[in-house]
Amino acid sequence: MIYLDNAATTKPDGECLKTAEKYLLSEFYNPSALYKGGYGLQCELRETRKNIISLIADFENFELVFTSCGTEADNQALFCGGKRGNVVTTEGEHSAVFSAVSELKQRGIEVRFAKLNSDGSVNIENLLSLIDGKTSLVSVIHVNNETGAINPVNEIAQKVKTKNKFTLFHSDGVQAFGKIPFRLTKDIDLYSVSAHKIGGVKGVGALFKRKNLVIKPFIFGGGQELGLRSGTENIFGIKNFEFAAVKKYKNIKAYYEKALKLNALFREKLDKTLFTEISNINCSPYILCVSAEGLRGETILHDCDDSGLIIGTGSACSSNEKKRYSRVVQACGYNEIVADGILRISFSCENTENEIIEAADILNKKVALRKEKMA
Amino acid sequence: MEKIIIVRYSEIHLKGKNRGYFERALILNMEKSLKGLKHEIRRQSGRYIVEAFEEDEIDNILSKLKKVFGIHSLSIALRVKTDLDEISEAAKRVCIESGNFKVSAHRADKTFALNSMQLNAEIGGRLLSCFNNLTVDVHNPDFIVNIDVRENGTTLVFNEFIKGAGGMPVGTSGRGMLLISGGIDSPVAGHMIAKRGMQIDCIHFHSYPYTNMQARDKVIELAKVLSKYTCGTKLNIISVTHIQEEIHKKCNGEYMVTLLRRFMMRIAENIAKKCGAQCLITGESLGQVASQTVEGMTSSNSVIKDLPVLRPLCGFDKDEIIERSRQIGAYEISIQPYEDCCTVFLPKHPIIKPSISSVMTEEAKLDIESLLKEALSTLEVIDL
Repeated sequence: MIYLDNAATTKPDGECLKTAEKYLLSEFYNPSALYKGGYGLQCELRETRKNIISLIADFENFELVFTSCGTEADNQALFCGGKRGNVVTTEGEHSAVFSAVSELKQRGIEVRFAKLNSDGSVNIENLLSLIDGKTSLVSVIHVNNETGAINPVNEIAQKVKTKNKFTLFHSDGVQAFGKIPFRLTKDIDLYSVSAHKIGGVKGVGALFKRKNLVIKPFIFGGGQELGLRSGTENIFGIKNFEFAAVKKYKNIKAYYEKALKLNALFREKLDKTLFTEISNINCSPYILCVSAEGLRGETILHDCDDSGLIIGTGSACSSNEKKRYSRVVQACGYNEIVADGILRISFSCENTENEIIEAADILNKKVALRKEKMA
Repeated sequence: MEKIIIVRYSEIHLKGKNRGYFERALILNMEKSLKGLKHEIRRQSGRYIVEAFEEDEIDNILSKLKKVFGIHSLSIALRVKTDLDEISEAAKRVCIESGNFKVSAHRADKTFALNSMQLNAEIGGRLLSCFNNLTVDVHNPDFIVNIDVRENGTTLVFNEFIKGAGGMPVGTSGRGMLLISGGIDSPVAGHMIAKRGMQIDCIHFHSYPYTNMQARDKVIELAKVLSKYTCGTKLNIISVTHIQEEIHKKCNGEYMVTLLRRFMMRIAENIAKKCGAQCLITGESLGQVASQTVEGMTSSNSVIKDLPVLRPLCGFDKDEIIERSRQIGAYEISIQPYEDCCTVFLPKHPIIKPSISSVMTEEAKLDIESLLKEALSTLEVIDL
């Protein structure tokens, strides 16, 4: 089985699981407890926060709120940051942001959507034109989860702040963290990440929050996570996340290079007559979005699945939605026929070149066969 | 004093010498639906008593019995010894503490000291003296305290008649094969026919990989809903992927649905006969969609060799069907967004009034026998 749906989730890193195992079996205490075992964990958690923040930002400038997933981190940012006036976001957001802003709209906040370029990145000029004195929050996805388009969030945040220094800037960094080499600047107020996209376990996410930024709590209770997200800390999941993230960042450039190579190889092997490429070379090398135009992406997904290749169609998180066509790909300017045939191939540095060659071969064959049947 | 459930049957009492046959079927179905729950069912002069169950399971038992066809109404009753004080105590327990009420006594045991009228007055008086906010209204009571003095020295006291599913016991009107899609209509059609006593088997057609596992699971869930009313069902699943591909490749696209339905009917009849089903049941409603015209039905009917095709929804509007779907608990499953096979190769303009000759011309382009054989080889049966 060749697994090329790493943007949906990655295989948990066995080594990190093993190292974190003790937090399930022996160091199981409640980190809020006052005895030594509990207090010890609280101290460890402090270090963990520092370690994770330091991977992409200056520890002096940021704090970290652990959540149950990336979606929760996004929701916390939007519901606690977008409180009044208007909220500006893009047409290329993950459902975690898209559905949350729809709810904000229901609650009476005006929501403005910035247009996308054809690769799924945001049209920055259009975004800036939507910001005014009443914009309380701007949310821009860092790496688009369907096309892999990278938005220069630091640059955008800086421009947003120039236009309105009181506007908060949030970015969903779930597909960027642990994959794309970058550092957060002080212009970014909130940044969401997730553990299971980089070899951690499911059930852990985090929200980077600029220090001194006051936002309302999201979950009320015992006051954990700076009082913003109460609930007993998932110490195993959090430590596992730390180990996975540290491991990724140790070799992030090498992994990035490898992903670039795998991506280029896949593109090279892909039969150009069968596919429309949505992702371009500036996109994240971890994600390749193509359309088997004229076919339905899901049919190809099943065909490949039956032949030992796992790939995705757009966002796995949206496959529960009623809408058949990818909202994001349509926002890139493609018609329904292209949007219907969307396939997302997403790589991990654990994939081998042989796997890539075989996968491209399976995909070419399956699409050719299906096109012949549907002709 | 113990809680029991009184079960009253519906049309069965109209039956003559064969009443026993229907009663046995009803008991069997009740037993099937209560399988796994501690209980005993006893017959008692034209009704059934469910007893010896765990009291905290009573809601569960009721909800299962409410789905058994052949039951007219149910009551949760307190059973006491036929003794005035005990009857009065039970009456106090079932009595709602305020409002208009009346007591309605029925005395099967004529040896009991008080007659019905006297019992009404006596118990009514005791209830009035016990609850200050009660008033008697024999014409328009808010609730009725029913007292049923049985011949066996026990009395049943209850205040409510719960509507049963009605109809005839499943299994007393033969066996049918329901063509079930993932939509709203077919489970309702199956439910309606099962209500008249027919045991239902189901057949579903899928087009994997053009449709997905969720669509298949959805149909399994719908068949499960139906199986609660039919005391079990068998779901036959057949792949029509290749048939659709062949029609797509070789025939006029406008005839996709018409031709596919003919294949479905052929396959359904084939499997129905193997299962001992005596008819086919579809959820077609006249004029609802392009294929459900009388011409469409003629076209699909004409491939059926022996069995009748029941279409109980033909005269129903969509909103009436939706209402029934809600009532039987299928609606929320039916509206899940997964597509079933019909929509995959759907033409923009399907043929609305196909003539048999044009259908035959299109169909002649296909190798019907080998396609049928291949489809039948994909049969998968799920026992629900």
